[in-house]
Amino acid sequence: MAIHSILVIEDDRFIGEMYVRSLIKEGYAVDWMVDGNDGLVAARNKEYDLMLLDVMLPERRGTEILKALRGGKENLVPNTKIIVMTNFEQDDESRIATEHDVDGYLIKADITPKKLLSIIEELN
Amino acid sequence: MATVAQPKPLHHFWTSYWRNLVFISVSLQLIVVLSTVLLLDATEAISILSLDTWAIAGGIFVILLLLNLLILRLASRPLKYIITALSHANGEESRLKQIHVNDAWVQRVGMKPLMTFIHELGGGGGSDHAADGEDTTDVQARAIRFDEALESSSTGIAFLDSKGRLLFRNPAVPTYTETDDTPVIDVQFYNEISLSDWIRECEKKSVNAEKTWVRVASKPAGEMDRKLYDMHATYKKGSQVPVVALFVEKTSEYMPEENDLNFIAFAAHELRGPITVIRGYLDTLIDELEGDISHEQRELFDRLVVSSNRLSSYINNILNSAKYDQRHLNLHLGETSTLRIYGMISDDMALRARAQRRNLTVDIPTDLPNVAADPASASEVFGNLIDNAIKYSNEGGSVEVRAVAHEHFVEVSVEDHGIGMPSNVVGNLFHKFYRSHRSRETVAGTGIGLYISKAIVESHGGTMEARSVEGVGSTFSFTLPTYASVASKLEKNGGSNKTLINNHSGSWIKNHGAIRG
Repeated sequence: MAIHSILVIEDDRFIGEMYVRSLIKEGYAVDWMVDGNDGLVAARNKEYDLMLLDVMLPERRGTEILKALRGGKENLVPNTKIIVMTNFEQDDESRIATEHDVDGYLIKADITPKKLLSIIEELN
Repeated sequence: MATVAQPKPLHHFWTSYWRNLVFISVSLQLIVVLSTVLLLDATEAISILSLDTWAIAGGIFVILLLLNLLILRLASRPLKYIITALSHANGEESRLKQIHVNDAWVQRVGMKPLMTFIHELGGGGGSDHAADGEDTTDVQARAIRFDEALESSSTGIAFLDSKGRLLFRNPAVPTYTETDDTPVIDVQFYNEISLSDWIRECEKKSVNAEKTWVRVASKPAGEMDRKLYDMHATYKKGSQVPVVALFVEKTSEYMPEENDLNFIAFAAHELRGPITVIRGYLDTLIDELEGDISHEQRELFDRLVVSSNRLSSYINNILNSAKYDQRHLNLHLGETSTLRIYGMISDDMALRARAQRRNLTVDIPTDLPNVAADPASASEVFGNLIDNAIKYSNEGGSVEVRAVAHEHFVEVSVEDHGIGMPSNVVGNLFHKFYRSHRSRETVAGTGIGLYISKAIVESHGGTMEARSVEGVGSTFSFTLPTYASVASKLEKNGGSNKTLINNHSGSWIKNHGAIRG
């Protein structure tokens, strides 16, 4: 399934703008939310092909959003790929718990926009 | 006889029995003496009316009575001793004087083993303190105290059956209740086999087994009321209680370390934010300005990229060192090639060497055996050694990276022709925050790179060493085990190496594996 629509949940203005800018330039349809609550609402209201999810978010942490979407009996976003993007070094146990429900786990500091585009390309 | 509600003390039996014995004995003797007098009177040997007859009969009665009582006393003595001992063993207060097992008579007649046995029945020892409150508990009271002890103990004790179901637990065992009200042990096993899986495995192939888990948590990190335990379990097949598990709470001991690590993780998170933006926009700018900037300007951009990349890898070093010091550094070894590991950072290294005007040559043959490694961590070792080689050599100098196969290892070496070090410095190189004598004045750095590199290599089961000649240059080399040499061991550890998800400690994408910036 080709990826067209992307939801970015990222609270850092600079980082969010940076990723959104290059994603739009590449032709993706991007929605960007800066806090956890809005992010979860957006994810529930519209079906995206891909979600880029930060962990340390205001209002609701990325791990909580993940739990709300995929932690229950039913996967609420079965057609959405989720990539966690964080600079926070989670301890192993939380990390393993997070990784269980996602399609990718990226350290933002290692991922330039160019790199991100090639990763999304690979996911297709 | 009147009925009594309370059970009689054991020693009451002796008192009444002895009384009866004496009564019967006296009565029988009276009958014997009287019948003898009557019989003799009938045969007219004596006269019943004579005073002498009664005097003699009375004398005989008294003598016989004395002898009889003596024999009776002697014959029933063991019985008395046994009852006395049992009475004391039961913790009763009685007028009967307690008999010591070393009593002369007891020893003479050979009753000592019997008395010792009874003594031990009652809990043994302290024979002189029989009347102390401690020993006056009866069996029932003891059972209640056992419960109380379990109830108040801070050590969790749980009994489980062979299916891993809880048979008994005291309050210190962390549990939660399932929807159907069954309590379940509530600790999380991440990198280790869980208690229930362990029991299942024991059921299959063990008769007796035991296992210790260190630092298991009741809740994920960051949640309220998180507790940390050390856990020990024993297993005995076929026993009524096949599994006994102990939980020792170590929260206060382990938490400060966790908090330190959290602090470093938060600090790193803060530092990585700006780095993300710097690296990201540099990449974007270089792309978008391509063709519009001069060669010299491009070089300036490269320097920015190299510096931000280095900053990023230093942060990784700090994070890894903190984790390693607190035994949190978990590597997930899998089959990979030396070339692939280097491939993760080759572009970065090439740029770094070019920007700092060093000639970097890399000779990693394609036909090397595969190694067992955590690619992200192993690539950090490469990066650290090359970074050092560049730091401690001169502009225009060459840095050579080579890899060769030995029997069970692949050896990687990084050689520079730089300032080198005297031999007395080499031994200290791998200590945290150590830097060689001259580097302190000429080159900035934390000295953390070699420390964590060595730790990572040794966690792989490899070794790291340094050779150096002052003024000539240094060679750092490390080994990684070939996958073939450790495959069986890794497979036995199972689980964590089987799925892609757990295969990498850095960034990863499903079905594509590790990713490096």
